[in-house]
Amino acid sequence: MPGNRTKWSCATVAVLTLSVLLTGCGGSDESSGGGRTVLRYTWWGNPDRAARTQEAVALFEKEHPGVTVQTSFAGYEAYKQKLATQAAGGDAPDVMQLDYRQIDQYASGGILLDLGKQKKALRTDAIDSGLLATGVVDGTQYAIPQGRGTEAVVYDAEQWKAAGVALPRKGWTWDEWADAMRELAKKAGKPGSIDPGQSEDCFEVWLRGQGKSLYTKDRDLGFTADDLTRWWTFTDKLRRAGAVSSAEQTTQLDGSVENQPLARGKAVADFNWDAPSSGFTAIVGEGLTLAPMPSGSDGTPGQYFKPSMFMGAAATTEHPEESAEFIDFMINDEKAAAILGASRGIPVNEPIRDDIGPQLKDFDKVVADYQDSVDGSLRTPPKAPPSGDTSLQTTFQRDYDQVSFEQMTPREAAEDFITEAKAELRS
Amino acid sequence: MTTTDIPAKPARAKSPAPPRQQRGRIRREGAAWVFLSPWVLGAVVLTLLPMAVSLYLSFTDYDLFNAPRWVGLRNYVQMFTEDPRYWRSVGATLMYVVIAVPLQLALALAVALALKSMKRGKSFYRSAFYAPSLLGASMSIALVWRAVFNDGGTVDNLLSDIGIHTGGWVNKPGWALLAVALLTVWQFGAPMVIFLAGLQQIPVELYEAASVDGASRKRQFISITLPMLSPVLFFNLVLQTIQAFQVFTPAFAVSGGKGGPADSTLFYTLYLYDRGFVASHMGYASAMAWVLLLAIGAVTAVLFRTSRSWVFYANEGER
Repeated sequence: MPGNRTKWSCATVAVLTLSVLLTGCGGSDESSGGGRTVLRYTWWGNPDRAARTQEAVALFEKEHPGVTVQTSFAGYEAYKQKLATQAAGGDAPDVMQLDYRQIDQYASGGILLDLGKQKKALRTDAIDSGLLATGVVDGTQYAIPQGRGTEAVVYDAEQWKAAGVALPRKGWTWDEWADAMRELAKKAGKPGSIDPGQSEDCFEVWLRGQGKSLYTKDRDLGFTADDLTRWWTFTDKLRRAGAVSSAEQTTQLDGSVENQPLARGKAVADFNWDAPSSGFTAIVGEGLTLAPMPSGSDGTPGQYFKPSMFMGAAATTEHPEESAEFIDFMINDEKAAAILGASRGIPVNEPIRDDIGPQLKDFDKVVADYQDSVDGSLRTPPKAPPSGDTSLQTTFQRDYDQVSFEQMTPREAAEDFITEAKAELRS
Repeated sequence: MTTTDIPAKPARAKSPAPPRQQRGRIRREGAAWVFLSPWVLGAVVLTLLPMAVSLYLSFTDYDLFNAPRWVGLRNYVQMFTEDPRYWRSVGATLMYVVIAVPLQLALALAVALALKSMKRGKSFYRSAFYAPSLLGASMSIALVWRAVFNDGGTVDNLLSDIGIHTGGWVNKPGWALLAVALLTVWQFGAPMVIFLAGLQQIPVELYEAASVDGASRKRQFISITLPMLSPVLFFNLVLQTIQAFQVFTPAFAVSGGKGGPADSTLFYTLYLYDRGFVASHMGYASAMAWVLLLAIGAVTAVLFRTSRSWVFYANEGER
């Protein structure tokens, strides 16, 4: 009957349409097939960290035969955006690497699992209580610090010595640093350093060297347009003199070491966090070393020990226990620590830190020695920055672009930044 | 089965034509709806609903993590009065539209003219010139573009060889915008194919008559080709302008997502993306999207208005 045929084809089309729609959504079920637990673990970093992470993950899988860990990583900027989108869509990875600047936002948004409830699987007694507390928001342990890091001047010691300029010393001031940069530029024929004007981190060190801070305790700006104008005038002058890298170089910075002037052979020194500086060695070769950040004119140190990164788990994870076990493994397992070395900062687990200290080699040892050299002389770290800070970092860089391309004066750009920062922190 | 069928037949016979027809219509309409359903579903779920949500969000403060908070017109007020970077993004976008669209259309028309008079290998060249339009929107081509125009890239090296040292295009304000515009211009394939079709519609007799009258090639182009082609030109202009306002991928890739150097490639959509996904101000980003929609609508309306004075339809004389 023709009527039946129509009915049939209608039904067929409907079924086909539905099945197409459903298969589109059904993909995620397959990952848990075969009775295995699949954990998704995402982090940011460089290829060096990637290789070590894969090795540690393989070891974890070997020791936990029922668990598979799917890892993925990206550069910091891309990672930040992807994670925010995933989290908002309710699809945060089971285990994720977090930054000091992200914790506040993620914890208050209900994205993170209360790790305090996972005490059985996740031991925290070997971590310094002050450091552990940096992962606490509103009384709940949402994240576990994984390493500690501090900023440094990374430099090519051979080139520096060849130029015949006095080597950096502990307690040097920003003025001494600037003199060294001018001299390096003159004698080495290329800028002494990257232009620190674009870096909110460097500005913070400079600011703390004067006893001020980026944010006040009640999450407001801790500095004025005058402070920022002075900083940008200082760096702008050095750039005009060719002592630090040009605007064309600075604008290409995206957080990856590959695009830093030091890696491109266009500068002798750089500012960076200590552990990630290991990424330079693959490009520049050996001979890189670390020096303390310049301090205020009265010797007040501006740098501080910061939990370099955290591990957290998603509140929506179906495997809270396995996630906690994995975090525990990455932080407390000796074999994992031996593999990971200082790729995520010097470990927070104290026995492990003492244990692996003598075994560290290559750049890891440089990092450990550097941390030892400044340990005890630094001031306490600031509180975790308020949520708006993640986008202000980018704004800072963009506003300085206007200065270094000479489209705005330091004063104009500073006022631009303060306006945006106030709007950002208000919301 | 048969027992139920038998009483049904007389029932149908009692009230014969109308219900049967009606049922047939319903059945036919039903089938139409079933076939339409993928599209309808797509339109509602993927277009209309998100648009409605975005309109709502544009009046809220929404950071993706916490529930949206109603703020009325604050996003719009902030956009127009308190955000210098917003205006820089508007400026960069307008500059881009003004540079890229005319260049692209001129190139498309020139190549179409060259192809039209070509005797052999026409289809090969047509495909060859069209290929970039298929590839161009992709991230990978944009990244290649960045490498080509970067400090020490191909373009820089070639220019250095002939004595012009640029030190890269994508890291200089002013130059970077040009590099991005060139990427768009390079994708002139789609308007070119449309121009080619339009050129082939122009009756040959017109040119023959003109040559008999002794009109030069230039004269023929101005007096015959351009007027006869004006509807196609108009179509391409509207389409490419709308597309240019929404440019995103090339600028994102070339500037590493920041719209630099010094905000010179901070196009509207890039800043919108930045507000939404980097700064987590979804409400503000939605408000920006609605302003863009209205602006594109307004520009298109203006183009249509001006078209009355320069677009010539061949059948107008008959009316």
